[in-house]
Amino acid sequence: MEKFVALTASGVAYGAVLALVALGFIVLYKATGIINFAHGDLVGLGAYLAVWVVDDLNLPSVAGYLVALALMAVVGVVMERVVRAPLRDKPVLVVVIATLAMAIVIRGLIALWQGSNPKTLVSPVGNRALHVAGAAIAQQRVVIVVVATVSIAGLILLFQRTSFGRQVRALAADPDTAVLMGVRGTYVAMAAFALSAVFAGLAGILVAPLSAVDLNFGFSLMVTAFAVAVVGGFGSLGGVVVGALVIGLVQQLVGGYLWPEYAGLLPYILMFAVISVRPEGLIVVERSRL
Amino acid sequence: MNEATTPVGEPAPMGAAPTTGLAGGETTAPYAKRLRPGIYRRHHYLAVVVFVVATAVLAPMFAESRSTQFLVNLWLVYSITGIGFYWVFGLAGRFAFCQTFMMALGGYMGAWVAQSSLGGGFLVQVALGVVLSAGVATAVGLLVRRAQAFYFAIATIAVAEMGRVFFSKAEWFTGMNGTRTGIPPIRLFGRDYIAESEVFWIFLGGLALVLLLAAVIERSPLRRDAVAARDNALVAAVAGVPTGRAQLTLFVLGSAMGGLSGALMGPWTGTTGDTSFGIELAIGIFLMLLLGGIGSMWGPVVGAAFYVAVPDLLSGFDKYATIVYGALLLVTIILMPEGIVGGLGRLRLRLEGRWRRMRPKGAVDAVG
Repeated sequence: MEKFVALTASGVAYGAVLALVALGFIVLYKATGIINFAHGDLVGLGAYLAVWVVDDLNLPSVAGYLVALALMAVVGVVMERVVRAPLRDKPVLVVVIATLAMAIVIRGLIALWQGSNPKTLVSPVGNRALHVAGAAIAQQRVVIVVVATVSIAGLILLFQRTSFGRQVRALAADPDTAVLMGVRGTYVAMAAFALSAVFAGLAGILVAPLSAVDLNFGFSLMVTAFAVAVVGGFGSLGGVVVGALVIGLVQQLVGGYLWPEYAGLLPYILMFAVISVRPEGLIVVERSRL
Repeated sequence: MNEATTPVGEPAPMGAAPTTGLAGGETTAPYAKRLRPGIYRRHHYLAVVVFVVATAVLAPMFAESRSTQFLVNLWLVYSITGIGFYWVFGLAGRFAFCQTFMMALGGYMGAWVAQSSLGGGFLVQVALGVVLSAGVATAVGLLVRRAQAFYFAIATIAVAEMGRVFFSKAEWFTGMNGTRTGIPPIRLFGRDYIAESEVFWIFLGGLALVLLLAAVIERSPLRRDAVAARDNALVAAVAGVPTGRAQLTLFVLGSAMGGLSGALMGPWTGTTGDTSFGIELAIGIFLMLLLGGIGSMWGPVVGAAFYVAVPDLLSGFDKYATIVYGALLLVTIILMPEGIVGGLGRLRLRLEGRWRRMRPKGAVDAVG
């Protein structure tokens, strides 16, 4: 029972982080049609920025995190200017390769700036743990779930209730018509890049205290988030949240009980299996991109 | 209905244009020359022979130090995997992220055969490496044959990640900590090839064979089918082009080339490890293809030369190498989307156009 509770708790927390990562790149995908292969490195960058702000600038942790997130928004806008703006007329695939190039640049800059030694980010709640049914659950995991739930709820409200959300949905449904109807594609794209980078940074900051921050930190999260998007459907935000929880729980529970050595393989197997059986993802949303 | 469609239904096949042109006699000859599809004008085989001879003559002259020889060999091996990736990504338009996984697979297989009780000569090791990577590529390609664009990309990322975990766990296959050491050197026809300058000839021979295969593909209907499928899959399929088969064939062939280059690297360096096929190389292969030019079989060869030379040119600035690669890729995509080879081709066309305009009109057609 203790093992089950502990594994479930870490599965839910992991799923919450995955949901943040996946929603980050899906927001961008909906607004611009671009799959951002630099998203994983943005997750890493968020964590490094948080380490820098807290350790080197000596800001209190929560305020420091907000500063780091603001910086991430700037990074997102810069990325739109560098990667998307000059390539607007090119096929989306070209822009995607450009994001790949951006990923290498970000990674190289981090290595130059912070070195290749792993860093640690201290959680604002420290190393305290909750005890539920005999199982110890790190409070950071509770923080992750709470912060992620609030952010995701905010994102869904933003999508359903605001003008920005309507514009993004219009662009996702039919970019040409949306632009003809007066949606300013460039502004929406810049905002989406910023929002996406902030979500990436938030995911990085939340998960960093649970592990060491190194250069490959974001990459596996991004690839697992691809699995989430494939399982949850590229179009729907709700599907993504469900997909994230499923993948998080499957990886922790099945991995924890049956196959601990190869637990890391499960998302990839799931992802590959879904694509081979349903080449357009498990949940196909009509009239969304792709 | 039948009578009406017959003339339309049997248009001259693409290859027929030059035949009629050549048979047309003196007066139409210049005209026919212009009507020839590019495929007949470009001397693919001749270009391969010229390239191989030029490399055989120039490379040993240019590469005097051992480290330069090493770089030349690395260039040849990377060219092989780059040409394979050109088939997968350039021709078939498949966004595949598993080329380095295929290299690792071929490399481990070759090393495993060399160090197992099977023994087997160099050629057997390489052949089994190629066969294994082609086999895995066939399985992957068949399973995700219906996946398009990003879904295919994501599926191949999954394959590469599964491979990474497998390679790190399956020590019976990949050696201690995923690295096989002490792989015997290349031994062919009763002779050992150990020094860089000796290995060069083996690798040049390998690249020559791959280039010949590339020339065959360049002139084959397979290329036309794949390009049609890449540019508009729906229209191509409606027009009766076997889109799936063309894409699968090129994916398997390209992955086999990855396996080949991986299998060649083991006996050359003596080790095969997952670290030599990491994400840097994965992105490096994209860089080779895009920098060299995605529209030509020579693109990856030129791009690989660049990729190998950049760290050498930047010696002392090693830590900037990654940033330079990324920035180079970005600048290439934005400023030179056709790559070096494509840019040269455009330059040639422009010069020719200027040259033609300077000449009197009658002479133009005769030059063709």
